[in-house]
Amino acid sequence: MKKYFEASPWILLKIFLLGGLNAFALWAIPILVMNKTWIFAVYIGVSTLIIDYVFLSKKRIAAKYIVPGVLLLVAFQIYPALFTGYVAFTNYSTGHILNKDLAIDVLLSNSYQSAPDAQPLAAQIARDKATGEVTLLVQRVPGEVTAATKKGSRLIPQSEVKFDENGSLNRVEGFEFISEDEGYTLLEDLSAILAPLGQNQFVRLLDLTSAEIVVPALSYDSKKDVMTNTGTGIVYRPNEFGSFVSEDGTEELEPGWQTRVGWYNFERVIEDPRYRAPMVQVLTWTFIYAFLVVITTFFAGLLLALTFNHPKLKARKIYRSLIIIPYAMPSVLAILTWAGMFNEENGIINRMIGTQLPWLSDPTLAKAAVLIVQLWAGTPYMFLISTGAIQALPSEVMEAAQVDGASTTRTFWSIKLPLVLYSLTPLLIASYAYNFSNFGAIYLLTGGGPQIIESGGIAGHTDILISYTYKLAFTAGKGNDYGLASAVSFLNFIIIAVLSTYAFRKSKTVESMT
Amino acid sequence: MTTEVLELKRHKMSVGKWARVLGWRHIVAFLTIAFALFPLVWMTSASFDQLGLVSAQKLIPTNAGLDNYRKIFSNPDAPYFTWYRNSLLISVLNAFLQMCIGAVAAYALSRFRFKGRKTTLMTILVVQMFPQLLAVTALFLMLADLGKSLPFMALGSPIALIVIFAGGALGVNAWILKGFFDTVPMEIDESAKVDGASHVQIFFRIILPLVVPSPAVIVLLSFIGTMNEFVLSSVILGASGDPNDLTLAVGMQRFIDGQYNQQWGPFAAGALLASFPVMILFLYLQKYVVTGLTAGSTKG
Repeated sequence: MKKYFEASPWILLKIFLLGGLNAFALWAIPILVMNKTWIFAVYIGVSTLIIDYVFLSKKRIAAKYIVPGVLLLVAFQIYPALFTGYVAFTNYSTGHILNKDLAIDVLLSNSYQSAPDAQPLAAQIARDKATGEVTLLVQRVPGEVTAATKKGSRLIPQSEVKFDENGSLNRVEGFEFISEDEGYTLLEDLSAILAPLGQNQFVRLLDLTSAEIVVPALSYDSKKDVMTNTGTGIVYRPNEFGSFVSEDGTEELEPGWQTRVGWYNFERVIEDPRYRAPMVQVLTWTFIYAFLVVITTFFAGLLLALTFNHPKLKARKIYRSLIIIPYAMPSVLAILTWAGMFNEENGIINRMIGTQLPWLSDPTLAKAAVLIVQLWAGTPYMFLISTGAIQALPSEVMEAAQVDGASTTRTFWSIKLPLVLYSLTPLLIASYAYNFSNFGAIYLLTGGGPQIIESGGIAGHTDILISYTYKLAFTAGKGNDYGLASAVSFLNFIIIAVLSTYAFRKSKTVESMT
Repeated sequence: MTTEVLELKRHKMSVGKWARVLGWRHIVAFLTIAFALFPLVWMTSASFDQLGLVSAQKLIPTNAGLDNYRKIFSNPDAPYFTWYRNSLLISVLNAFLQMCIGAVAAYALSRFRFKGRKTTLMTILVVQMFPQLLAVTALFLMLADLGKSLPFMALGSPIALIVIFAGGALGVNAWILKGFFDTVPMEIDESAKVDGASHVQIFFRIILPLVVPSPAVIVLLSFIGTMNEFVLSSVILGASGDPNDLTLAVGMQRFIDGQYNQQWGPFAAGALLASFPVMILFLYLQKYVVTGLTAGSTKG
């Protein structure tokens, strides 16, 4: 009995948390199912069941500790990685976001245009007292009132309608008129009204006091899967890239829909001159950039570590604290500050050396600027790990070298460097992989620029794969190409995986770490 | 090497020897420190320079004053304090979650032998090679879809950002923590078990207190890392188009982007105030940071 009381606050907490999770799942899953996002619904359902099982079971002790982290890892790290792979094989992009059914709906509803002989109709905006719905009261023929809502339209019996002397609508039973001022605040709801009014004709708001009759310009035949323009008679058929295209191939209807396009995105990267040339350039620079950053910062850090690793050097601690300041500064703000200092017209750097160098708009200088900033930002880290490695060097070896009469340079190249390199290799590999996708270093300083003209302005001379991907996905002027961006991301994934596996294998660190 | 060691044995050095052995080291130190402090010095100088132009800046401003600070504090398009608050909230919550999820998993990986342990360890190691920012497009599309059903997971929601970060908790941090837990001998657990302690009690009352400074360091390192995060914050929080949703890193970038000549002074003031707490925290924790680094992490 006593034990029960001791444990009770924890049991209550557990019941509370599990109950909360299950309540959340019961609330979320129906909504997810309603929106047809099956994968999320299934994942939340399965995760909840697993957690319930693990935490209610007496045996699964290790799982209690590890399952929450693993479920989050799968949802937000592994699934996105796999999803990147999937998107790489689709045409997901601006204009190809919707699925086909939705795209057809949008095409049809966008195609409404004023009926050829139509006159504006008198209309009054009102609110249905029973449902609260915003309604359009339209007189198709004077004296005959139709109530149109988002859902449809109905004719109002003459007995419920009252007009004043000059024939304007005075009162309709069951409706409350809305003033024009209030109408402005409801524009979004009002313009969503598109209600059938007679054969293949629809009514919609023109301005706050009138409505118009519209007809769809396109009609869709679901059996033949073709779109026809009822006015011109042009027939549009779906192509393999998720768009309806006219028979002569000159006209494409917007929007299209999302569909799988096989290796098309990868083919574009390899074959399309607009992407191939910049891609080769970006890829080459990514390799060189990451390599140069690791080499320069490592040697700078190692030399500094050797320089300050002298027992008689006073102020060693203060020097060390000051030298690692760049590592302590928030890197985003530091890089933005560097960008200001490299400012071409009158940046501090140009004024200090008395030049007018276009640091950020000349391809070579921009690359130099990126490397200088990374030398600044990366050296402290290398300095710290090199200091650690040097201090861990076995003293017997150093003494033996001294006894044998080896010179300082000789001990450095033949003993210290190989030993330090050996212990730091895993960190250097990790550093290479990190710099390979160090988005901020590039994007915040140069924005990837200056532009490579053949790329249509998307890729720049200092762009690395990850910043190029980001620009393709989120900032390309013509629209965002998520499919192509994912294909490039996917390539980035593979390159890092191959490089790291190869490097780790060679240095045999994986075995020693697990 | 030989000469150095011999000289150390003497108490006093001649000036010539001092220059040869130690003097040049001081010179290297001064040059390096000048380079290291270069941006910080100019940031400070610019923040007090009332002209606020990149083009007219001097190292010691001729008309020093607090105008730039007033400007950054009262700009309705750049709600500096809101960004500061967002950054702090997101970073604190994330650091706390990283710690909770990472530490419990690390405990299990360090203490229990169970089926799938090796696989989990390998997965953690492999996943570290694929930072979440590589999948930023997929995460963006995922939230665009998920947000239609669950508003708190929509683009623009800080909760969505924190949950996504939590997905990375079984990464570097769990790995480092496992290393710390491994240093506590298993015999301690066993004797506690004999005395009737449960696995929860062993974790909270015995193991955690024994490694106590290290989890705190992990919390602070993930705090600093989140303060610095740019890509995911920019894509997820920036999607709403409301400047009040942004963090400091993203907000300051949008504030200064393409406006170096006009906004240099206010930017420097804001950047300086944002950098100081992080830098002080970092320098204060230096010695722990080094241990964390050599345990296999990289910055970011």
